[in-house]
Amino acid sequence: MTDESQPSAFEGIEGEGTEIDASSARMPEGIEKTHPSIDPLGARFGDAILRHEVSAGDEHIVYVEAERSLEILEWLKDDPDQSFNYLSDVTAVDYGGDRPIQVVYQLYSIPFRRALRIKVELPVEALEIDSVVSLWQSANWLEREVYDLFGVRFRNHPDLRRILMPPNYAEGHPLRKDFPLRGRFSRAEQTRRALEMDADDYYVEAQLGPGREPQLVPWQELGGEPVKKREPDAESGDGTKEEGP
Amino acid sequence: MSDSSIEKAGSGLPGGIFGSGTPTFLTTKVDFVINWARRNSLWPMPFGTACCAIEMMASAATKNDLARFGMERMSFSPRQADVLICAGRVPYKLAPVLRRIWDQMPQPKWSVSMGACASSGGVFDAYSMVQGIDTIIPVDVYVPGCPPRPEGLIYGLMMIQEKIRGETLGRHSEHRAESPDEVGRPHADEFKVAALSGPFGNSTRQNRTSGLVPASRRERPGDRLP
Amino acid sequence: MTKRTVEYQVSRTPELGTDFKPAQGLMTPTELEEPSLLSENMLINVGPQHPATHGVLRLILELDGETVVRCEPNIGYLHSSFEKLAEYRTYNQIVTLTDRMDYLAPLIYNCAHVMAVEKLMGIEVTERCKVLRVIMMELDRIFSHLLWLGTWAIDVGAFTPFLYSFQEREKVYSLHESFTGARITTSATRVGGLMADVPEGWPEGVREFAHGVVKTLDEVEYLLSTNSIHLGRTQGVGAISGEDAINYGFSGPNLRASGVPYDVRKDRPYYDYETYDFEVPIGEHGDCYDRYMVRMEEMRQSVRILHQALDRLPDGPVDVDDPRVVLPTKTDAMNDMESMIHHFKQIMDGIKAPPGECYFPVEGSKGELGMYVVSDGGPKPIRWRVRPPSFVNLSVIPKLVEGELLADVIMVNASLDIVLGEIDR
Repeated sequence: MTDESQPSAFEGIEGEGTEIDASSARMPEGIEKTHPSIDPLGARFGDAILRHEVSAGDEHIVYVEAERSLEILEWLKDDPDQSFNYLSDVTAVDYGGDRPIQVVYQLYSIPFRRALRIKVELPVEALEIDSVVSLWQSANWLEREVYDLFGVRFRNHPDLRRILMPPNYAEGHPLRKDFPLRGRFSRAEQTRRALEMDADDYYVEAQLGPGREPQLVPWQELGGEPVKKREPDAESGDGTKEEGP
Repeated sequence: MSDSSIEKAGSGLPGGIFGSGTPTFLTTKVDFVINWARRNSLWPMPFGTACCAIEMMASAATKNDLARFGMERMSFSPRQADVLICAGRVPYKLAPVLRRIWDQMPQPKWSVSMGACASSGGVFDAYSMVQGIDTIIPVDVYVPGCPPRPEGLIYGLMMIQEKIRGETLGRHSEHRAESPDEVGRPHADEFKVAALSGPFGNSTRQNRTSGLVPASRRERPGDRLP
Repeated sequence: MTKRTVEYQVSRTPELGTDFKPAQGLMTPTELEEPSLLSENMLINVGPQHPATHGVLRLILELDGETVVRCEPNIGYLHSSFEKLAEYRTYNQIVTLTDRMDYLAPLIYNCAHVMAVEKLMGIEVTERCKVLRVIMMELDRIFSHLLWLGTWAIDVGAFTPFLYSFQEREKVYSLHESFTGARITTSATRVGGLMADVPEGWPEGVREFAHGVVKTLDEVEYLLSTNSIHLGRTQGVGAISGEDAINYGFSGPNLRASGVPYDVRKDRPYYDYETYDFEVPIGEHGDCYDRYMVRMEEMRQSVRILHQALDRLPDGPVDVDDPRVVLPTKTDAMNDMESMIHHFKQIMDGIKAPPGECYFPVEGSKGELGMYVVSDGGPKPIRWRVRPPSFVNLSVIPKLVEGELLADVIMVNASLDIVLGEIDR
C-alpha cells in the first residue's frame, strides 16, 4: 500500500487512525490471527459473545446473542476504538434442516480499515431481531430484503415490507431452503396471479392531509390491506374505495 | 387507417373489390402501398429490461444504426408504437406491466421477443421468472441469443418487415383483432403454461447437493426438486 | 409553508406621509406568507417502463407543485432469483450468472465471484492471471462508466455524447468478443484461472483502446464539463455530506464524490493494486456534478492502470497448477484414463470448496461489490450473496431528491449509476 498516494482516512476520527498496519489489509500473506475488536468485545459484553471464528484465512466472525445484538452493534459503531462506521451488508444464511437462520452483518471501519462480521443465529420458529436502521441508514433496504427473502422480522424497522417480490406474493420467502426453486405454485397459477395484479393496485385512495380531497397513495403507506377492486356495476355513487385501518 | 371502414366501404362495391380473402388488383395495390409505408416506418417500443436492452441500445447507436430501417424514433410511449421489442428477462412482477403496454399499443402491432430469457426464460428457470413472454403476449419473431447481437436484432426486425409485406388489408382484421376480453389476460392457455412446469433439459439436474447437510433427516420438504 | 422575503418601494402617494415627502429608499423587508393555493400534493408514477429510469425502476413521487415531497422507489421488477439459482449451480456454473447480473461491467463480476471462491479455497492464482484480471476489471470499469456517460448525457439533454461513448464501447465489445466470444455475457473467468488465455494481439488491442478512449473523454468533457445547461442541472443538485454518505451506505464514485476517500482498491487492496500508481478522485460537494467529475476522472485513472498492467503483463500460464480446480488438458483427457476420470468428475461434480465462508469485496464500477460465498463443503454454495452496490446506492435516492424539483430526480437517478439487474438480482 503506498502511503503517499493514500489519502488519509475519513477525517471525522483523526488521531486513532494513525497506527494502521498496512500488512493487515493485504489478503493472503499477512494473515492476521487476532482481531483488535475481539478481546474488547468479550471484555465488555461477556457471555453475550457466543463464539469467534476465523474463516478464509483472515475473516473474523463473531457470533452474538440475538437479544443484545443491537447493543453490541451500537457499541461497535460508536466506540472510538472500534468505529465501524460503514455497514456493508446485512444478509442472512439458511443452512436448511432444523439449523438456525443466521443474520449476517458485514461491518467495516473506514478510519481503521478493519472488517468484522457479526452473526446472529435465530431459530426458525422465532425469526425476530432488532433493526439497526437507527444506527446505519444503509440497513433500511438490506433488512427489507432479508425480510422479503428469508422472513426475518426486524423490530422497530421503519418500513418493513416486501421489496423485491410483489406485495401480494403468497408463496412464502424464496431464499429459505425449504422453498422450491420454481416456487410453490404451478407456472399456470403463477402466470394467472401475476396478470391478475393490476399494475396500479399499489395505490389506494386516502387523504394525505386534513381538509384535502382523497387521492391515490400507496396502500402500504397506510399500513392497510390490499383493496378489493370495485366491481364495475357497483352502485355506490362516490368513487372512494375502502381504506385500510 | 381503420380496417373495418375499408371493408365496409368495399363490400358495397360491385365485384367485391375489397372482398375479404380474394385478392383483386385494387386490394393488392393498396396493400402494397400501405405495407410499404408501414414496414419502412416501424416505430419500436423498446421494452428493455436487462442485458438485451444494452444490445438494443447498441443497435440504435453508432455502429449498427437502426435508423437505416426506418426505426429512427424509439417510441417510449406505447401509444405511438408499432413494434414491441421485449429485450430481456421478464419476472412475474413485470408481467402485468408488459401486458398493459401491449394492450396500450394501437393496431396494427407486432412484437419481437429478444433474447433467450424473453423467449423461454433462459437460464432463469426459477420462482420469479416468466418462462417466455409468449405466455403473456403474442409474439411474432423470436430472436435467439444471450443476448443476441445487434445484427440478430436487426435481422429479427427485418423479418417483421417481411411479415408485413405479406399482409393484406382484407384479412388483417382476422389475425390482428383482439377481443376486449383478452385484454389483460395471459396469451397462452393454462395447459400450455402448465406444460412449461415439467422438468426438462438441464433443469432435471437442478438440485442442491452439499457435503455436510445430510440428505435424509434434516431435509425440509422441498429441498430437492421432485 | 416557507416564508418569502420581498422588498418593495412605497409609491409616492399623499395618503402615506403627512408632509408629502416620498419614502426614501427601500422599506424594511416584509415577510409575507406564501399564499395558500389550496393545492393538493400530486402523485406521479415514473416507470417501471420509462426511458430515464435506466431499466425497470419505478419511482412514485409525491409532488407539491414541482417540488418532490416524497419519493418512493419501487424495485423488484427484475428480480431474477440469482441467489436462489446459485445454490443449484456449481462454482464454475455461477460465473455465467454473474455477468447477467451486471451487464454493464460483466468482467468485474466474473472476476469478483471467482476471487471469492479462490480465497475460500486458499488458491493463489498465477501472476499472469492476476494482471490479466486487473486489466479486465479496469477495462470494464471504463466500459461501464462509458454507458453511464452516454445515458447521463441523454438525461441532461445531449444526444451526441451517447453516440461518442457507444463508439468506444463498440471497441470494448470487440475486445470482449475476441477474448470470450460474447459481447456482453463474457463468462471469462474460472476458479483458478481464466476460461482461456487471451488471444494473440489482445493486449495490444487494449492498449489501442486505452489510447483512443482518452481522446473521446476529452471530446465529451469539452461538450459537457463547462456546458452551462449541464452545470445548471447538476451543480448543487442531490448533494449529500460525507457522514451521511457513509451512514447511508454509499460506495464507489458516489461516496467519493462526497469527499470520503474510501476505495476498496486502496483500502482493502487485492491483486497488488497497492503497487499500481493511480489516484482516487475525490469530490467536494457530493452533488451530481461531483459524481460526474469523479467518474470522468476515474476513467482516466483506469486508463493509467491499464497501461501499467499491460507493461507488467508477464508470460506464463493463466491457470494455477492445482488439480483440484483446473481441468486436465484435452490431450491428457483423451489419452490418459486417470485424466479422463478427473475431467469427468470435475465437470459432473464440480469443484468442492472447503466448509467456511468468504466475503470478498472488490471495487466494482458502481461501488463496493462484495461476494459472500458460504460453503458447506459441497460443490455448490449453500448461500451465494452479492453485496449489491447499486442496491444500496439507490436506497439513498429518497434522501437525495426530497425537496428538489421533479426534473432533478432524473439527474440524481442518472448520477447514481444504477443497474437494475444487480439491484433486483
